Amino acid sequence: MKSIIIIPAYNEAGKIGEVISGINAIGNLDIVVIDDGSTDATAESATVAGAWVLRHRLNRGQGAALHTGIDLALSRGFDAAVFFDADGQMEPNEINLLLNKLNEGYDVVLGSRNLGLAPNMPLSRRLVKWLALIFTRWTTGLKITDTHMGFQAWRTAALRRINLDQDRMAHASQILSEIARLKLKYVEVPVTIKYTDYSLRKGQDNLGLFSILWDLLIK
Amino acid sequence: MAIPFSLPRDPHASLGMTLYKHMLIQLFLLLIIAIIALRLYAKLRAREINGRQFLLWLIIWLAAALVVIWPDITVWIANRVGVGRGSDLVIYLAIIFLFYTIFRLLLRLEKMEKNLTELVRQEALKNFNDQNDQDDK
Repeated sequence: MKSIIIIPAYNEAGKIGEVISGINAIGNLDIVVIDDGSTDATAESATVAGAWVLRHRLNRGQGAALHTGIDLALSRGFDAAVFFDADGQMEPNEINLLLNKLNEGYDVVLGSRNLGLAPNMPLSRRLVKWLALIFTRWTTGLKITDTHMGFQAWRTAALRRINLDQDRMAHASQILSEIARLKLKYVEVPVTIKYTDYSLRKGQDNLGLFSILWDLLIK
Repeated sequence: MAIPFSLPRDPHASLGMTLYKHMLIQLFLLLIIAIIALRLYAKLRAREINGRQFLLWLIIWLAAALVVIWPDITVWIANRVGVGRGSDLVIYLAIIFLFYTIFRLLLRLEKMEKNLTELVRQEALKNFNDQNDQDDK
């Protein structure tokens, strides 16, 4: 399966090079970084590290950046795409884990932190995630253990069918709704997420859940 | 400074004076409304606003003028509708109007955001593809 790694990035000039090298170390995969209107040298760093780089002139959110990456993947004849974060929280080795699972015949493979190890996750964030979990099971009907996990592998055939128009953090919930709507074959695999001081500072704040609800209501 | 409980009776005040002052205020307010209406019309001519917007705001200001000329109309309407005072009714209507307006604004804003995102995304893709075509040459 011809695969591409899609990395939305916003102001990750310091990390993106490292992330790209990490992925190159595990295999010869095509990588596309979508610079979502960064004010630092994210695009340049990514180019130097050897990835394809698309650049949003304005910051439009992770959902929009992902959408652009997906459009590119679909236009270049890839069979599969893996969503990967730019902040160094994800483990490149697990890319093959997701792709192998996809090969078993699924449309989507979703990484889950709750099936695997999650060292250092603060309690407050655990509580917010649990609430998000309950909400998503209720609204999408999907039996999944981790709702806002960006580490996913998709068959491009399935990607072609989904509708993505929520820009900001609400896009994660929309992806799940689309999986439910199109009855795609999905499965979860355990993934490890490294919460370092760096990524915690940049990460989604605890009000994130409410802004997601607000986005979905004012559609 | 102590404020007297009742204002001292102005020996120069008479019913005529009161009516005169009353009418003066009304004329002043009507003048302001007239100016607003004229500016509104100017905006229409200058195509800053369309016919529908002009009509909507004109009706609002004409209603305001009506209340200035005949304040008791609010009491009359309030009684018909079953609300306490005329001014209460005006406030209720204003609140409803504001909620509705805000709701519409949020929708418009949302639409604009989506349009903007689409523009930004398409530009990013186009630039990338153009650049790639350049590199291949």
